Amino acid sequence: MAMSELSLKSVRKTFGALEVIKGVDLEIEKGEFTVFVGPSGCGKSTLLRMIAGLEDISSGDLEISGERMNETDPSKRGIAMVFQSYALYPHLTVRQNMGFALRFAGVPKAEIEKQVMDAARILELEKLLDRKPKALSGGQRQRVAIGRAIVRHPKVFLFDEPLSNLDAELRVHMRVEIAKLHKKLGATVVYVTHDQVEAMTLADKIVVLRDGRIEQVGSPLQLYSDPDNRFVAGFIGSPKMNFLPATAVTTNGQPSIRLDASGIVLPAGHLATRLAEGTKLVAGLRPEIFKDGGDSSLLLDIEMVEHLGSETLVHARSGETLVTVKYGGIRPMKDGETVRAEFDAASVLFFGADDQRIR
Amino acid sequence: MDRLTRGLTAFFTYAFLGIMAFLSVFPFIWMVLGATNTSIDIIKGKVGIGTALLDNIRAFNAAVDVPLVFWNSIKIALISTALTLIVASLAGYGFEVFRSKYRERVYSAILLTLMVPFAALMIPLFVMMGKFGLINTHWAVILPTLGSAFVIFYFRQSTKAFPSELRDAARVDGLKEWQIFLLIYVPVMRSTYAAAFIIVFMASWNNYLWPLIVLQSNEMKTITLVVSSMASAYYPDFGAVMVSAILATLPTLIVFFVMQRQFVQGMTGSIK
Ligand SMILES: Nc1ncnc2c1ncn2[C@@H]1O[C@H](COP(=O)(O)OP(=O)(O)O)[C@@H](O)[C@H]1O
Ligand SMILES: [Mg+2]
Repeated sequence: MAMSELSLKSVRKTFGALEVIKGVDLEIEKGEFTVFVGPSGCGKSTLLRMIAGLEDISSGDLEISGERMNETDPSKRGIAMVFQSYALYPHLTVRQNMGFALRFAGVPKAEIEKQVMDAARILELEKLLDRKPKALSGGQRQRVAIGRAIVRHPKVFLFDEPLSNLDAELRVHMRVEIAKLHKKLGATVVYVTHDQVEAMTLADKIVVLRDGRIEQVGSPLQLYSDPDNRFVAGFIGSPKMNFLPATAVTTNGQPSIRLDASGIVLPAGHLATRLAEGTKLVAGLRPEIFKDGGDSSLLLDIEMVEHLGSETLVHARSGETLVTVKYGGIRPMKDGETVRAEFDAASVLFFGADDQRIR
Repeated sequence: MDRLTRGLTAFFTYAFLGIMAFLSVFPFIWMVLGATNTSIDIIKGKVGIGTALLDNIRAFNAAVDVPLVFWNSIKIALISTALTLIVASLAGYGFEVFRSKYRERVYSAILLTLMVPFAALMIPLFVMMGKFGLINTHWAVILPTLGSAFVIFYFRQSTKAFPSELRDAARVDGLKEWQIFLLIYVPVMRSTYAAAFIIVFMASWNNYLWPLIVLQSNEMKTITLVVSSMASAYYPDFGAVMVSAILATLPTLIVFFVMQRQFVQGMTGSIK
């Protein structure tokens, strides 16, 4: 079996009495772009900082290229980190910032200069090398921070919410730049974000974290179409998946599932043998499964319509439950109308009372 | 009506500020003018330029070994300031950056020393200096100022604006703790150091009570002591006193004007 580039085994972290990372097992392959995603405070940064060596590991093992690194100094782990605030040294020029780590690793001057120039060329920073960070724009600072990481030729790049200080337009631009850079360098990347769009667009592998635990690991499309639980289903995808309370019933002798609010009955399909009558469920309907000509439908009272041109977002109610529907293109719908929204029953996901997916 | 109110408000504001400015600047003007007048004119309250400047300087020079006294003051102020800044910045940085169970308790204990009036410390301190054999040496003046709770407090407060990610970046770049302090913290915080330098330098330069007690022979005395002893002589020559006062004020003025920008930056706490 091929050895992972980065491996976490039952890793835990406690701050005093507070357990923040509650046992994480994870393998990351060489060259893989892995994204840690999850709501704020779930422990993404802490986990990343444990990999970097900026936080101690309370228990468990961290291996990089097969070598146990729990107690190794951050500068000797073969990692480089890009911080949210960029953390450029304000009193040093771009050139000095980028060469700083090599200087302390005892690399000869000429070699440092060459490495800095190479990185500057990749990031188009050549003209800025003699400036101080305060004379740079946000996007330029970001590139210097990345350059500082590249210069070290790390085994693993660590990014902690690197785009969150940029405005929306620049964020999209830098996202594309980072994706290109990853392709060009073929580097192993661990990237932290709370933004699921960033995660979906950048990742080979997404790790969804909640409250110090891994909820699910998988490719972006795996998580989107085959979530393990209600949390992942709700977190991945925008607008959020609709969750409708449902009950397993028997209709006309057939096992089926009834949506509680509307009384709509869906065939139980392959779940038929697995659900006892009366079992409480939650049905998950993504806003984008609604389309004309589906085999089932919901009657919706429209509360508000957002016409975006390329798509139409309908915020509506089915009984007490709020439902969001996303149609492609322009639809002549108005607030206060009642519409029948059609969908295919096969694209509905079901979750048990424990929020786990029923497959 | 509205305009009238605004006009009146402006008038009183400027009148108040004007009076305050006059009150703080007048003594300086009077000091400078006084240096040009005879002692008798000064006592009479003459405000104006006189012709006695050279006489006054000569009298002052005859009464005091000016270079020695000046050198004493500068030496004490510079050593004291440099050491205080080193001790206080290390302490302030340490208190803010390193976590420990006892951190806040120890810090509170240090801040508590701000509550103890110096008068209460004077006698034990004097006894202590006596035991060290330091009475009538400059070290007796310098040493007690080093662990300044106020300056430690000032550095800890300023360190709150020092981004923790800079420390993290430096650790990833392979710097040891002392290198982070010397190569990152010190240059990044230079306006904090500048402001602290001015505050501590001025305090040391103007320090009066304690030096008066521990510095006993004339060749040890500082300019502040000399000014005051001249002013309290039996027949004070006020013209010469004014000359000495100018000389005593000059260095703090120079330090302030040279470092004004950093001082203001340091006080408003901007890291750029
Ligand atoms: N140094 C620390 N001491 C105590 N608690 C901390 C410390 N650092 C982080 N935490 C706590 O750990 C949890 C996870 O934090 P973090 O990893 O920063 O979350 P995220 O990056 O996912 O937003 C939070 O509840 C936070 O308050
Ligand atoms: Mg974070």
